[in-house]
Amino acid sequence: MYARAHAVAVVGVRGFVVSVEAHVGRGLPALLLTGLPGAAVQDARERVRPAVENSGLEWPLRRVTVNLSPADLRKDGPGFDLPIAAAVLGATGQLRQGRLEGYALAGELSLRGALMPTPGILSVAAAAARARLRGVVVPEANAAEAALVDGLEVVGAPSLARVAEFARGAWTPQAPSPSADPAPDVGSADLADVRGQAEARRALEIAAAGGHNLLLVGPPGSGKTMLARRLPTILPAMSRDEALDVTALHSVAGLLPPGEGLVRARPFRAPHHSISAAGLLGGGSGGIRPGEISLAHHGVLFLDEVNEFRRDVLEGLRQPLEDGRVVVVRASGAVDFPARFALVAAANPCPCGFDGDTRRRCRCLPHRLEAYRQRLSGPLLDRVDIRLRVPRLSRSELLGSEAGEGSAAVRERVEAARERQRRRFGPRPVRCNAEMSGAAARRAALLTPGAEAVLSRAVDRYALTGRGFDRALKVARTVADLDASDRIAEHHLLEALRFRGDDERAEDAGVA
Amino acid sequence: MTRGADVPADAPAAPAAEVAAPIRRPGAWPPAFVASQADRDALVVLAHLEGMPPAELHSLAWREGAASACLAAVTRGASATPGDRRIAAAVDPGAVRSALARIGARVVTPADPEYPERLLHLPDPPACLFVRGRRLAVGGESGPAVGIVGARASSAYGREVAAEIAAGVASAGVAVVSGAARGIDGCAHRGALRAGGPTVAVLGSGIDVAYPRANRRLIEEIAAAGTVISEYPPGMPPHQRRFPARNRIVAALARAVLVVEGAPKSGSLITVEFATDLGRDVMAVPGPVTSPLSIVPHELIRDGAALIRSADDVLAVLGLPPEPGRRALGSGPPAADASPDERRLLEAIAGGPTTADAAARTAGLDPARTLAALVSLELSGAIRAVGGRYERAGRGHGPVPDAPEGG
Repeated sequence: MYARAHAVAVVGVRGFVVSVEAHVGRGLPALLLTGLPGAAVQDARERVRPAVENSGLEWPLRRVTVNLSPADLRKDGPGFDLPIAAAVLGATGQLRQGRLEGYALAGELSLRGALMPTPGILSVAAAAARARLRGVVVPEANAAEAALVDGLEVVGAPSLARVAEFARGAWTPQAPSPSADPAPDVGSADLADVRGQAEARRALEIAAAGGHNLLLVGPPGSGKTMLARRLPTILPAMSRDEALDVTALHSVAGLLPPGEGLVRARPFRAPHHSISAAGLLGGGSGGIRPGEISLAHHGVLFLDEVNEFRRDVLEGLRQPLEDGRVVVVRASGAVDFPARFALVAAANPCPCGFDGDTRRRCRCLPHRLEAYRQRLSGPLLDRVDIRLRVPRLSRSELLGSEAGEGSAAVRERVEAARERQRRRFGPRPVRCNAEMSGAAARRAALLTPGAEAVLSRAVDRYALTGRGFDRALKVARTVADLDASDRIAEHHLLEALRFRGDDERAEDAGVA
Repeated sequence: MTRGADVPADAPAAPAAEVAAPIRRPGAWPPAFVASQADRDALVVLAHLEGMPPAELHSLAWREGAASACLAAVTRGASATPGDRRIAAAVDPGAVRSALARIGARVVTPADPEYPERLLHLPDPPACLFVRGRRLAVGGESGPAVGIVGARASSAYGREVAAEIAAGVASAGVAVVSGAARGIDGCAHRGALRAGGPTVAVLGSGIDVAYPRANRRLIEEIAAAGTVISEYPPGMPPHQRRFPARNRIVAALARAVLVVEGAPKSGSLITVEFATDLGRDVMAVPGPVTSPLSIVPHELIRDGAALIRSADDVLAVLGLPPEPGRRALGSGPPAADASPDERRLLEAIAGGPTTADAAARTAGLDPARTLAALVSLELSGAIRAVGGRYERAGRGHGPVPDAPEGG
């Protein structure tokens, strides 16, 4: 009257193997669930019984107790339907236990007994592998995803009935196609689509090469979104480990298309400015879900109209920008998600959008303009090395410009520059120029005499602050890396200064 | 009451026609207007009355004679609003004087030699000025002044031209008068200060109230090297209705008024109107016909205002000789230290704001070299970046000193 099955509780992106015990005893018919089940697991009580009955199996009309252990770990997610059903069927002798002993089970059941695509299966499989289990039994739609984990037998089952047949030895699942890692799908976006905007294209290349965050300021219609979307296409291809991280995060968030295996394209996330802190950083009631910044892990987070975001939401970006991870603390516990992303922020130059436009006049009142710019500054901007004004091109400017280089050619240079940085940083935790401290940037600078002269003129001319100075050096370092140069030459520094970002302001600043 | 009864028996030569239209009365004050310390104190108190415009005080002065009599008329209720009477009763001239002393300001009345004659050209001259900085010396033997006004939301072009022309006329000894506002006003003052020439800021707020706040430092610099004046006592906040009154003083102090950029309904038009009424010359700087900020200057030029391209043009309007050896605006930077790439880029952007792509294409350079060369040109002050495009800065003299930080 007792049986046991393995399940996996997913906390953040990490899975923990949990055992699901079932006891069928005397008493009024009921299903009791103990062992800190979350809300979605509680729901299983209502789903499992119809699923069993509609699979041609019998639900015991007795008192059924299901315990999840260890009891101190909160278990969340719909993946517990299948292991609960299996444990109950085992306890009533309808499922041969021996065959399923070495497998972790996960999957949501429909009332008809079908196994539905379930989030977090990659984390489940990884936990099973860590626990040295033999394999996993998962919904068919998630089999490719589970198969990404090496050394694990994956049983992709379409329904509970099939799982029962599998346990009897009456059904052999089709082995999932061993993740035929498709070529990185960069989609249809390509840098060659961007006409004109040589400066912005170059800014993207430098941002990609040095891991720098980017701010684009320009009127509506200047192509900020179009540019940002093309940053993932010139970043180096993801390593398998990076791709696994991204796949696990997207799986946990339920964003992995059913039947898909590894995510190969770097993510591009563009949350709307009305997003909540929980949506951006992670959280939510019930299970703690990764936020947009974690979904952008190893990819690009694009914040359009950045100064329309709520200030407290933006403040929350500081720690992740610093550490590459975010810790979400809720009453139910603290969860830590990776969040190492390239930030592309975009803003209009002023509330009406036409400041600095050659054809239309900005109609913003001076004090509103000041308030608007105030919102743009602050701690977030400190982490943005490359800042650029993007003009709205006139028809003739657009027609006159030729298509630029394609993403593939640029990506090659970016990869070479990244390789130079890896060699230079060696075993240090810093992986790209953007991650250097100010002091490290000054040490790594190696300016030619010409560049030194330019730098001292720039300090006077642009009234560079200490931080602005360090940022210029970091960007110049990346420009030199793109040029395969150990020293920062005059033209490297000049180019970096282009991206320092205090273009002529509309107010008095310009003329002394 | 007949009109004749308005005129005090001892009022000399106040023609009847003037009485019939008191607003247009010539600006002279009655001879005994400020005769004693009591009169000076009375003027300080009267300066606080928000409900009594200068024209009304002027009429009152001609009815009552001395300033102290005007104040007495206010307190006994013969003039002014009840609110103003309360203010008049509450103001302590001694306290105001010590507030003025704290900021190094003084009171200048029509009885003082420092009070500019030219203000009396106004039908409603200020009865009392608060002054900081150097002696307020415009007109007569101290040399002419020119008013430079224009858009607050100005373009980089306008700000540069304003500063450049202000510097040019100020170095010829012509005082630059403006309103210390954002945009053109501030740049005109900065240009004059840079040239070490005289400049006068006329505030539309209390003498100790910096408005806009971003120009606080500029106003302090003017108080140190030039003159800051206001009709309003310490603590008076800025208010829209006070700006036209401020503009009348700018127009009155100047011998000619220059408009640099203004969109339709611009406040500069108010200054121009005062200038025309006062018989001051009106001048304007043309701009690109595609810019809305050029509309007012172009209309003024079409209506007969002098077209101004340089400080020398302004000096010519004032009947002064040009400064020898000055390069005209727009003649470009010395190309001597520019590289061949840079020279080609300068050519490429000569037509107005140009994107880096377009400049590279015209100059036949590759984009990476173009960016470096453009920044190099920007560093030398030959060009500037505006909204993602580049334009000639037209200034040939080395690095541009940075503006004082705002706020």
